[in-house]
Amino acid sequence: MLRATLRSFLAHKGRLALSALAVVLSVAFVAGSLIFSDTVSRTFDRLFASTAADVTVEAKQDLRSPVPTGAVQTVPAALRDRVLKARGVAAARADVSVRNIVVVDRHQTSVGPPNGAPTLAGSWYVTRRSPVRLTSGHAPHGAGEALLDADTAARKHVRIGDPLTVQARPGTFRVRVVGIAAFTTTNPGSARVWLDPAVAGRELLGSAARATSISVDAAPGVSDAQLKRRVRAALGTSAYDLRTAGEQAKSAAADLGTFLDVIKYVMLGFAGIAVLVGVFLIVNTFSMLIAQRTRELGLLRALGADRRQVRRSVLTEALLLGVAGSTLGLAAGIGLALGLIRLMGAFGMNLKATEMVIGWGTPVAAYAVGVGVTFVAAYLPARRAAAVSPMAALADAEVAGVGKPLKARAIAGGVVGVAGAAALAGCAAASKTAPAAALLGLGVVLTLIATVVAGPLLVRPVIRVLGGAFPALFGSVGRMSQRNALRNPRRTGATAAALMVGLALVGGMSVASASMSASFDRRIDRTLGADFTVQNANFTPFTPEVARTVAATRGVGLVVRQRITPVAVGLPDGRRVQTAAAGYGPGLDEVAHITYARGGSAAALAAGHLAMDAGFAADHGVRTGSVLPVEFPGGHRARLTVGALTDMDTGEGFGTQGGIFFGLATLERYAPDGQDSALYVNAADGTGAKELRPRLERALRPYPQVQVRDQGDYKKLVHDQIAVLLYLVYALLGLAIVIAVLGVVNTLALSVVERTREIGLLRAIGLGRRQLRRMIRLESVVIAVFGAVLGLGLGLVWGVCAQRVLALRGLTALAIPWGTIVAVVIGSAVVGIVAALLPALRASRMNVLAAIAHE
Amino acid sequence: MSTPAAEHAPGRAPDAGTAARARGLTKAYGSGETAVLALDSVDVDIARGRFTAVMGPSGSGKSTLMHCLAGLDSVSAGRVWLGDTEITGLKDGELTRLRRDRIGFMFQSFNLIPTLNAAENITLPMDIAGRRPDPRWLDQVVDTLGLRDRLTHRPAQLSGGQQQRVACARALVSRPELIFADEPTGNLDSRAGLEVLGFLRGAVDDLGQTVVMVTHDPGAAAHSDLVLFLADGRIVDEMERPTAETVLERMKAFDAVRGRLGDGGPVLED
Repeated sequence: MLRATLRSFLAHKGRLALSALAVVLSVAFVAGSLIFSDTVSRTFDRLFASTAADVTVEAKQDLRSPVPTGAVQTVPAALRDRVLKARGVAAARADVSVRNIVVVDRHQTSVGPPNGAPTLAGSWYVTRRSPVRLTSGHAPHGAGEALLDADTAARKHVRIGDPLTVQARPGTFRVRVVGIAAFTTTNPGSARVWLDPAVAGRELLGSAARATSISVDAAPGVSDAQLKRRVRAALGTSAYDLRTAGEQAKSAAADLGTFLDVIKYVMLGFAGIAVLVGVFLIVNTFSMLIAQRTRELGLLRALGADRRQVRRSVLTEALLLGVAGSTLGLAAGIGLALGLIRLMGAFGMNLKATEMVIGWGTPVAAYAVGVGVTFVAAYLPARRAAAVSPMAALADAEVAGVGKPLKARAIAGGVVGVAGAAALAGCAAASKTAPAAALLGLGVVLTLIATVVAGPLLVRPVIRVLGGAFPALFGSVGRMSQRNALRNPRRTGATAAALMVGLALVGGMSVASASMSASFDRRIDRTLGADFTVQNANFTPFTPEVARTVAATRGVGLVVRQRITPVAVGLPDGRRVQTAAAGYGPGLDEVAHITYARGGSAAALAAGHLAMDAGFAADHGVRTGSVLPVEFPGGHRARLTVGALTDMDTGEGFGTQGGIFFGLATLERYAPDGQDSALYVNAADGTGAKELRPRLERALRPYPQVQVRDQGDYKKLVHDQIAVLLYLVYALLGLAIVIAVLGVVNTLALSVVERTREIGLLRAIGLGRRQLRRMIRLESVVIAVFGAVLGLGLGLVWGVCAQRVLALRGLTALAIPWGTIVAVVIGSAVVGIVAALLPALRASRMNVLAAIAHE
Repeated sequence: MSTPAAEHAPGRAPDAGTAARARGLTKAYGSGETAVLALDSVDVDIARGRFTAVMGPSGSGKSTLMHCLAGLDSVSAGRVWLGDTEITGLKDGELTRLRRDRIGFMFQSFNLIPTLNAAENITLPMDIAGRRPDPRWLDQVVDTLGLRDRLTHRPAQLSGGQQQRVACARALVSRPELIFADEPTGNLDSRAGLEVLGFLRGAVDDLGQTVVMVTHDPGAAAHSDLVLFLADGRIVDEMERPTAETVLERMKAFDAVRGRLGDGGPVLED
């Protein structure tokens, strides 16, 4: 029996090739993502572990802001002297390292990395752990001298002797590059500038007496943990965070981890799509192979093979396919990881490909996914194979499974579909975000399953309509292609399902993102009253000089500054809510239209007052006049009076809640180290916005980190950010389509083989090659469009329900991107044409005599 | 070039001309030493308006002869004409149009497209050509073959005999110059087979069609006007106004000759 299985596997290897490709793709994405993230974490673990000081002393991070604030937390530089008193300390230095600065070259462009990674400035110390080495020039001495990292110097063509402008929070200063330093380990992708430690504190932090951390080296024989205990004892206070080299590496890796997680999840998303779509492909291939071999299987049964043997024979074939596919997939995964590592290099993160890490988990996962998927997908066809009666050997059997009733599918699909619809209805009717999102997820999964299960039932009615015009348009060729698509609803359904899954996802996401864009547009129209906003694309805070420069520009009437700070607010109901709050300068009413439920801007921005969302206030028992304890970073505490309640439906979102804001003066009093996040600018009376814009842009030329935007530009900025999400979905769609095309190719190729005699007959009685190709193309198109229509229909329902969830978060507009939907339908027809290319060619080259040759 | 049979110019009906003819028709499979001659320099004329049967044992080349005459298969050497058109050397597209417009086909099995109903199958060659069938002629053919109440049925809903009648109607409806029937009764019981043969006979007698039928059944061959006997790729004999008995006798005689020559025993069935 095993020999028969092997023979059959080898005999059908051509027909299994496309299924194998689906397995290869999914395994490649799984293996590639694992290898890539293992490699990156290993590289950075090593980097951080080798570069961190034995013990690092930093200011306590009590409040973390979900939005960048531009504030730098510092410690007194004199802390070093106290640290040195501890026993077991060999050396200690006051380090300065600032993340959020802008360095501008003489062409007034930022030298920062193109990928949005930060530019860091710090003090230049040469230690044995230093990850960089001076490769040319000399170390910086005194003010006005700096080192630049070699990668940035090469990218921006900066040479020794060139001037740079450094915009730090305390002020902008000019330096001359006196040396180039190269990373001896992996450059994590940021741009770096180093200054003389003697001036770094003053230039970057505004005070020579401040530092960002104290790095402590242990004396020989003292462990990091011992040193940490002793330094803590010597400091005698818990106002600082102390970390050993190991802890420091872990926390740095954790920061990096979120970025890596994104890549990992994206890759796993691709793998998931590949697996999901691949399953359909494999099920379909095996079903067709078994249908074609009905007589052969019947013969086996007639000769005495029992059902288990037949089933096992098919499953063994699946196993062989899975193992072969997984092995190739693993190899492809290594290639994919290599490509990703190269790609990271293009973004400035120089990972060494030679240090690629393939943990034991990678092959295990690869084979588990590959073999598991194939096995599961082949199980149903295997059962069907086992059910073939010995009589099938004798009968001139038609293709199995064609005429079988789809009753079981109708019932299962109906039940799951009703449950899914109920979940989606519940989602649309829900009034709280959390249950609505959960119901949405449940509804999406259930309706997807229902559509896949009941897909074959929808084949007849939908394709009757879709292909209805075919006979009129293409004559008998059209009629035959439409009927061929209807011929085996299970097969057509399963083939289209692959495309359907991808397009349902895209349909849903595009409705959700279009609705988000529309909602933000509406919100911007309603609230933004300023002629211009000045800020940057990623909402990174910028130096206060920008505000001064804008204010000094001729024709500027009003500049309202916005700053963000993390706060923790104690509420009357006992809750402590940690969020980000905004501070606005005077004149807010001139640049924004804020609807107040109680009070107004004057009361909101008054010293010692704040405003919050009326709904949030009601939920937590806050009223105007309530006095709330508010914690600011660095241990600053205040008691602020609620001066106004807003009614803006913008309370929640992006990690903030409560919509809390106060006057800029209040913010600066308790969180003095921040930078501006945005400026709202109005033209002065008598100056048109049109004439002001070029003047503003000219004045801001030395500050490449900020851009001037009017309302239209601002909307575009928001759209672009939503679009990033969509691009990811499009990439997923691309993959799904590639595999779906494979599926359609697969089905058509096998159908063509099955219909050899029919095609030969058609050719004999006078069907031209071109007509034959058209017939197969039309069949392919109608299958693909069927998948698209089903997918988009499902996606639209999902999208509308997702919008209901977004509406609970204040994004109330519903927009359906009809343009995208029409484009996707047309695109799916193109997909059908592409998928039909090879099968059609093959059919048209088939021997005419095949039909009439006697068996 | 010449075979003994060629001197008799078999199948020639002096008054009606030829519907198809071949000269030196050779078909070889494979090449070099392993080449097998399926047709060995055959000269044949198919008389217009007559019912010609081609008989021969398995492997005698009778199907190959039909395929070559119908432009389904390429020839290795020699020339073939359909009417006045030389079809050897035509491109695939031209051959396809020729088959569509000027030839009708009936095969042993798998004669119909399963997704199309009987009416659609009958008009298929004309639909492909984008021509409308002559409705009166279509009606006549359908009624003659007794398919009136079967027109909307799919092939799977028709009996074997009905399927062959539909194939017969398809071959007739475009009024082709020549109908090729390859073992049209091979899969039918004797009653249905007789029915189909009767229709083919009628097509020749009443409608003036030209029919070439390949068969190994002497009973079927007996319905023809002329039987051509093929053996080892050559036309070895012919018989006018055959009966089942005379055809069977002749076949037996060939087998006896072949047996004596040590070519193997009689093989009559495919």
